[in-house]
Amino acid sequence: MMATWLRPWLAVPVAIGILAAGQIWMSHLRYELSLENQRVNNDQQETLQLISTLRLELANLTRPERLRKTAQEKLGMAPPKPMQVVHL
Amino acid sequence: MIDKQQIFIRRRIEAVAGLLVLGLLLLAVRAVDLQWVQSDRLTTMAEKQRYREYTALAPRGSIYDSKGRTLAESVEIPSIAAMADEVPAERMGELASALGLSKQQVQRKLGKRKGFVWLARQVPPSVAARVMALNIPGVRHEKEWRRYQPLGPETGHLLGFVGIDGKGLEGVERAWNASLTGESGLRQVRRDARGHSLPDGSWLREPVPGQSINLTIDATIQSIAYAALAEGVRNQDAKGGSVVVMRPKDGAILAMANWPGYNPNNFRHAKPGQWRNRAVTDVFEPGSVLKPFSVAAAIASGKWQADSIVYCEQGAMKVADYTIKDDHPEGWLDLTGIIVKSSNIGAAKLALDVGAAPLYAMLDRAGFGRRSDTGLGGESPGIVLPLDRWGPVETANIAFGQGIAVTPLQLAAAFSVLANEGMYVTPKLFADQENKPEIARDRVMSKAVARQVKSMLEYATSEDGTGSKAVPVGYRVAGKTGTAQKANNKGGYSKGKYNAVFAGFAPVENPELVIIVVVDEPQKSIYGGQVAAPVFRHVAESALPYLGVAAQRGPQTDWQTMEVVAESPAFEHESLYGMSMREVRRMAALRGLRLHVHGSGWVSRQKPANVLALNQGDAVEVWLNE
Repeated sequence: MMATWLRPWLAVPVAIGILAAGQIWMSHLRYELSLENQRVNNDQQETLQLISTLRLELANLTRPERLRKTAQEKLGMAPPKPMQVVHL
Repeated sequence: MIDKQQIFIRRRIEAVAGLLVLGLLLLAVRAVDLQWVQSDRLTTMAEKQRYREYTALAPRGSIYDSKGRTLAESVEIPSIAAMADEVPAERMGELASALGLSKQQVQRKLGKRKGFVWLARQVPPSVAARVMALNIPGVRHEKEWRRYQPLGPETGHLLGFVGIDGKGLEGVERAWNASLTGESGLRQVRRDARGHSLPDGSWLREPVPGQSINLTIDATIQSIAYAALAEGVRNQDAKGGSVVVMRPKDGAILAMANWPGYNPNNFRHAKPGQWRNRAVTDVFEPGSVLKPFSVAAAIASGKWQADSIVYCEQGAMKVADYTIKDDHPEGWLDLTGIIVKSSNIGAAKLALDVGAAPLYAMLDRAGFGRRSDTGLGGESPGIVLPLDRWGPVETANIAFGQGIAVTPLQLAAAFSVLANEGMYVTPKLFADQENKPEIARDRVMSKAVARQVKSMLEYATSEDGTGSKAVPVGYRVAGKTGTAQKANNKGGYSKGKYNAVFAGFAPVENPELVIIVVVDEPQKSIYGGQVAAPVFRHVAESALPYLGVAAQRGPQTDWQTMEVVAESPAFEHESLYGMSMREVRRMAALRGLRLHVHGSGWVSRQKPANVLALNQGDAVEVWLNE
């Protein structure tokens, strides 16, 4: 029964079909991979941006003038006189 | 009948076949037309439809201080643009409201042209999110880079600023624009039938970020210098001022501040005149701070020694038809006295005796009259007359700092010579330049001359000197005050307008900092010792401990002693009576005593009576009479 339709010439269209399906699957994989690649690249860019922004915020928060003002106004501190500084 | 029918059928078949052939022929012609004749044009059109190219802006390089702290950084922030002809008129109101603009402003922007227009550039992310949430056709969200300088006005003049298109317009940002600017990239992406970008894009040209640069500036010292200058200017109701702090050993500029400052993050709010880095662009007559170089030229000539004495004409001396005056009339002064008492006549006499050429050569070698090669734009070379125009009046004037114009940076480089035992080191602003082998080191004067002048400058900051207010407790300072009348547009001097200057270095034994303070048009006092010296002290007493230079403790407190010898005293007399000023100075130097001198001539009185009982560092006061 099986042998009646399992002819040698059928191998060609079946192989073509399998190759075509494989091609489509590969194309899909390539697309997915490229999408993932784009996403990772975007993440990397965003992270670099975040680092840049955080570095700027850190520089802003630790700028000497701000620290001086905070120390003087909020903590009541004053700059030490040279004789009060001890180098160990 | 049948024949006729067959013929009819055959003709019909022939006609249809003919039409088919004709159709095929036309198709072939069209195919040739499309595939051959119009191939290039259609390929281009198809690619335009399938592909889209984006320009990716590269970030500008950051600027760091010597310790890697951020001085300038670019961050990506949103901007709002629109395709003007696609924005519906009925939605302009809500667009304007989301942007925080009036409807008329938005209409005017959209009415400028039909295509792409900017609506608001570099807006806060919250504003961009609000606008995009409206989903108005034609309105687009774009990304741009914005430059921030966290130290704001403190580094404003030095770093300059960047325009909205990312181009450096002033200061370091402008001078090093080419290195800091990145190279924008070009990315090609495929689009699907709906016009959406597919993810498999490729770079036609990758963006190259701008190079970051490290400056020799120290953010902490920059902040100290700016705060000290601001306080000094405010205390004196002055017009402005500049401070330059330099490390003499390698020429590294640690701080360069001007007052009034401006915020480079908001530079449009300041007038263009306020953008200048006056420490390098503006020149001023240095006045008495130039005298150490005249004295150095005199000693270097071999005709004069540190203890040689000069008669200072009791305050007035004629040179040609010009009268030179001293604020405090003096008789005989030695070279130290000329520096300590800041005698114009003494300096002029030395210069006239030595001659114009040696003084000119000394000033030239010390960097006056030429740019210091820091690379900053707009740097002035100062004004030094060519040697052939130095007559007696010019020579005498220049000897005490008139008829010559310098920048604060030049003065810092010149005082580094005295701190460096006679070697000139080119000022450096970029850390990368520090280790370059071609760093310029030229000998300006011999070690011995530099040491003698340094010692005189230390006297100038003693209690007797004009610069006593420059000395922080626990440190020894060598420096000179200057008070110079400002030149006016008519070639003369303005009445009542002065520059108060203090130039010096500390600590004397191993100079770590050269500090130059210039205060422009002080109102309460005009003297460098009253106006600029306290600013110097403020900077030095904060910066030296920060740099790890410990204050001296022990018997020396708020005073400096001239350190000369540790050997047994060569002087055995109780009394100084009858001695000349030169002998008294020599004795004080040998014994390490602090000397206060009044008058000139020979010692007629002394305090205390027995100098043998004095220890090193103690004070002795003498009165001399002709």
